[in-house]
Amino acid sequence: MRKKFAEMMLTVAVAISLLVGCGAKEDSVQTTSEEDAKANEVVPEEDAEHLTTDNEAVTLHIFAAASMTETLEEIQKMYADVAPEVTLVFNFDSSGTLKTQIQEGADCDIFISAAQKQMNQLDISADPEINEEGLDFLLEGSRVNLLENKVVLAVAEGNPSGIMSFEDLGSDKLQLLALGNEDVPVGQYSTELLTNLELLDKLETDGKITYGSNVKEVTTQVAEASADAGIIYATDAFSAGLMVVDEATEELCKKVVYPAAILKNTQNQEAAAAFLEYLQTPECMEVFARVGFSKAK
Amino acid sequence: MDWYPLWNSLRIAMVSSVLVFFTGIFAAYYVAKLHPVVKGVLDVVLTLPLVLPPTVVGYFLLVFLGPRRPFGGWMLDAFGIKMVMTWYSGIFAASVVAFPLMYRTARGAFESFDKTLAYAGQTLGLSNTYIFWRIQMPACRQGILAGAVLAFARALGEYGATSMIAGYTPGRTATISTTVYQLWRTDNDALAFRWVMVNVLISTIVLLAVNLLERRERRR
Repeated sequence: MRKKFAEMMLTVAVAISLLVGCGAKEDSVQTTSEEDAKANEVVPEEDAEHLTTDNEAVTLHIFAAASMTETLEEIQKMYADVAPEVTLVFNFDSSGTLKTQIQEGADCDIFISAAQKQMNQLDISADPEINEEGLDFLLEGSRVNLLENKVVLAVAEGNPSGIMSFEDLGSDKLQLLALGNEDVPVGQYSTELLTNLELLDKLETDGKITYGSNVKEVTTQVAEASADAGIIYATDAFSAGLMVVDEATEELCKKVVYPAAILKNTQNQEAAAAFLEYLQTPECMEVFARVGFSKAK
Repeated sequence: MDWYPLWNSLRIAMVSSVLVFFTGIFAAYYVAKLHPVVKGVLDVVLTLPLVLPPTVVGYFLLVFLGPRRPFGGWMLDAFGIKMVMTWYSGIFAASVVAFPLMYRTARGAFESFDKTLAYAGQTLGLSNTYIFWRIQMPACRQGILAGAVLAFARALGEYGATSMIAGYTPGRTATISTTVYQLWRTDNDALAFRWVMVNVLISTIVLLAVNLLERRERRR
């Protein structure tokens, strides 16, 4: 009997360690690729420039706010005709997560954030109160304000709970509101907005808020009707086909500006600058405008 | 410190390990008797949640239980029960993920059970129910117990699927694991660390309990 117990525990332990082992392997692969990246950095600058001036294949790693997924994927197709030698690789996530990944040394050429805060945290020329750690990751002079977005209140198709405005969030119509986390730009805008409406504390004490880790998660929770309503960007509501019942005014929350910048460590400065330039052309702005973005003023 | 996540995690883990205890034994008992081909297929299906990423399990659960999906919508319309984003949604996630641990350990135990004991019982005219509960179960109690403890520990630590179908609502659906993630994301390291210690403490107690039980078994 004792043996059987030991055997069974052993089987399970082996099974678990196998699973964990696979995970660990993946990690180690990642570290090697990071090491490779570091090794690449040692390449003399002339060589690096040589790589970009020729029509040789270039891969650009672009870290962009999750809310830009659909538009950038469309632009990726357009850019294949403009500059076929450039391969665009995207990493879409919340700007907070992306900022952390860049800080931890991820390979990235261009960063597009959904709020100034995350960009400022990487910008040495920004207010030291925001860039607390004195991080210097951005290529000087490359930072631009790319786009503007709107913060909206979205409800599931058919609006079963009958929520019509931000003020309705204080009523009994609402059972569950989906918001982004505090570290996600959309969460910060939502917190500001609800604080201005004096609703945040009440909703929190009533346990009516569920926090998602990026804007796409919040959007999905509304689309699946897991939550009655969610505060997201106009663009995400559009892409997901959600009904928008209210739009934040400038008195309720500050303007949503998407800054973009080239990273200091880029190996492909020229290609990155060219793409960032391309993003600001009328062709791209048209794509952005289609889902609800506008050009930043 | 608000202790809600502890209480919520414990009730989710307890309810789901009770559910899994019975369904796992039931499945193990019947699957072991099936035709080899059917057994092979069922075995894969029942073990899948052990190897699938919890996010995939969460996805399947959402497709099944979401209010816009057939079953979830029907539950909401017919009974007014919302299957996602409530505290008990965590039970569905934890049960599915913990089930294979109970099922596999119980099946292993049943397969190594000396069938001559059951035959002996039959010659004495005992019913199958009696043989199962009074002969087979006690003979296999080590495996069953190991399975139950592992299932409980796994249910207590469930994160991925839970965060997908129960979300994170402080004071409603927050569990220890989702709370730790939330606190870490929002730079509240000190509080995250306290919850980590709470979790480590509970897991240690559970494992110590297993060891004690095992030692007592040895003395018999």
